[in-house]
Amino acid sequence: MSDDKQIVSRLKGFLLRREVIITAVIVALLTFLLITRGVPMILTIFIDFAIFAIVTLSLNLEVGYTGISQFGRVLAVMAGAFGAGAIPGRVMAAIMGLPWGASYAEATVNFKLVPQLTAVLEKSWFLSIVFLIFCLLVAALCGAGIGWLTSRPAIRLKEAYLGISLLAFGDLLMWIGHNWEPLVGATTSVYIPDPFRFVPGNRFQVVVITVFVIAFLIYFFINTLTHSPFGRTLKMVRDNEISAAAAGKDVVKIRTRSLMIGSAIAAIGGALYVIYTGAATAIGFTRLTWTFWPWAFMMLGGIGSNLGVLLGVFLLTILRSMITIFRFQVFGFLIQWGIDPTWLEFTLMGAVIIVVVLFLPHGLVPEKVEPVLPADRVQKVITNMSSRGRFLT
Amino acid sequence: MAPWLANGLIYASALALTAGGITLLYITTRTFNFAHASMATVGFYVVYSFIIFIGGSPYRYFPFAFLFGALLGVICYYGLNRPLLKRQASEITLMMSTLGYDLILLSLIQMYCDFLTSNYKLFPRRVNMNMYDLELFGINAATIILPLMAIICLSALHLFLGKTKFGVAMKATIENPVLAGASGINSDRVYMVAWLIGGGMASLGGAAMAMAQTGTPVMGMNSIPFMFAGAILGGLHSLYGGILGGFMVGLAEYAGVFLLSQKFGPWILGYRMGIPLLLMAITLLIFPRGLAGIPWADLFGRLTGKKRGVQA
Repeated sequence: MSDDKQIVSRLKGFLLRREVIITAVIVALLTFLLITRGVPMILTIFIDFAIFAIVTLSLNLEVGYTGISQFGRVLAVMAGAFGAGAIPGRVMAAIMGLPWGASYAEATVNFKLVPQLTAVLEKSWFLSIVFLIFCLLVAALCGAGIGWLTSRPAIRLKEAYLGISLLAFGDLLMWIGHNWEPLVGATTSVYIPDPFRFVPGNRFQVVVITVFVIAFLIYFFINTLTHSPFGRTLKMVRDNEISAAAAGKDVVKIRTRSLMIGSAIAAIGGALYVIYTGAATAIGFTRLTWTFWPWAFMMLGGIGSNLGVLLGVFLLTILRSMITIFRFQVFGFLIQWGIDPTWLEFTLMGAVIIVVVLFLPHGLVPEKVEPVLPADRVQKVITNMSSRGRFLT
Repeated sequence: MAPWLANGLIYASALALTAGGITLLYITTRTFNFAHASMATVGFYVVYSFIIFIGGSPYRYFPFAFLFGALLGVICYYGLNRPLLKRQASEITLMMSTLGYDLILLSLIQMYCDFLTSNYKLFPRRVNMNMYDLELFGINAATIILPLMAIICLSALHLFLGKTKFGVAMKATIENPVLAGASGINSDRVYMVAWLIGGGMASLGGAAMAMAQTGTPVMGMNSIPFMFAGAILGGLHSLYGGILGGFMVGLAEYAGVFLLSQKFGPWILGYRMGIPLLLMAITLLIFPRGLAGIPWADLFGRLTGKKRGVQA
């Protein structure tokens, strides 16, 4: 009898674990979509989910764990996208003896040049993989550079001031990309050699798998990082800067590191996005899509909880695609008035932000308060110290 | 008058109104109002709709823009800001909440544009408001009327804050909320009025801004960094600083682009938004308390050799 009870309670404990519940929700929603809509829809959702998960996880590292008001996420994403759009293709063109200078990004040259590069990549899987990894490395380096640059004001400015400065500089970088042709072709876009062509069959599925694997690796990396001593230091800086400094932590260095790591990861997200779409266009990197939406995802999931971020990104990605899918069935009345239901995406995001702020300030999966040591170990330390007479109880 | 100066004056007065609104909301409720972006756009569309459906000069409908913006501000206060202020939410939370409100307003504006396009065969997504403008002394009336309007509004605000009882109470709440509360001032009503005036100023500014630029549904969204830049240049702690900062940012953008493009060529036009941002960056780095934080009296005192104020 007692054995049965133990098993039941253990089973209950397992089933009520947050990870299990969230996986169940995700699997159930995906199955529903798979049955009703078929494979292509699922693949689009996967891509959106994976790329935004990367960007939002990096945002969570900076906002949730370090307490920096990062309203310029688009900066790092754009740095990655521009880096992946401008540099690897040029390097390849230079090696092959094709024009690679400022003219590489000109619309008339670029659109003839890139298919030649893609044709080379198509023949060899080794070159393709090297190219992909090179793209991601370049993006990560650009992102880390931008992260270092943003860390300079981040040391001086507080909260909202910092947020607004970063937001403004995100816009500035977008306009530079939009006007300076040698970077990513200004108003036209720079095409990117496609490293996924070597696989016979559907390119799309390979892209999905690659992006998903990378997203998983990044989740794993960030999760390990935030549970390491470094992660605890980050939380310490977030909770009380002065006490962290008093404990001998170099606050400036820690913030700089967090910004560099986060920005590098976000840049990888941006690079994957432009490789997936095949072209880098500066005007597409608006602060709405790449700063505010990740913020909404993160706030819904729970600031400071990696698992929550995944759930938030997933739910909102699904909801967004639901609006697109069911726009004729559910929102037919809007179409009758001549209104495009895709604008409901903005309403949805705004409503989510407001509801979360008002009623769910900790998100769907609140951050777990984790003691540095288990309670019994703390007790032991206290008894040890009091027996030595250092600690009066 | 040179076209850059004419447009620059209109744009600068628009930014003065919006940046003043942002500063007013920040000093009263600690909220950086993102919704200023869409409130400004709403102001423009109110004026546009009145012109389309009733006709006449745009200036006749500016009071309606103010009223509409004030309504939006009050809704934002009672729906969003008040519960959060009661909970003593952080600055970032307050900022995010207005962002949500802004996104909803933006979607409503876009839907309204769709509605106008398909039902009335209009083109509300690219509007040149100058088309409806009058002519005064051989130039566009907007060049004269809008800066005048900004000055009148701001003087009215100044009189309101200085001469009326409620205005003085408001000033007291801005200076020291705790003491003001202790002396019996209802801070709730002060905040409500701040949102009312702030929202109204945002819409008025947006309606004015559309006279200098092409009016689009994302007009406010694109110019919100400049509004913030103006508020930050003003130092964020003084209403008059914010107004002056907005005016300077707006004029500096037009003047700077004009001068630089004469020297370097027209390619510089694409980077025009760098000028206000540079101003903002310099402000933040060199004198983080903004224009209002510079001890002007002290400086002038040193220049003229007279001693003014108390030296710390």
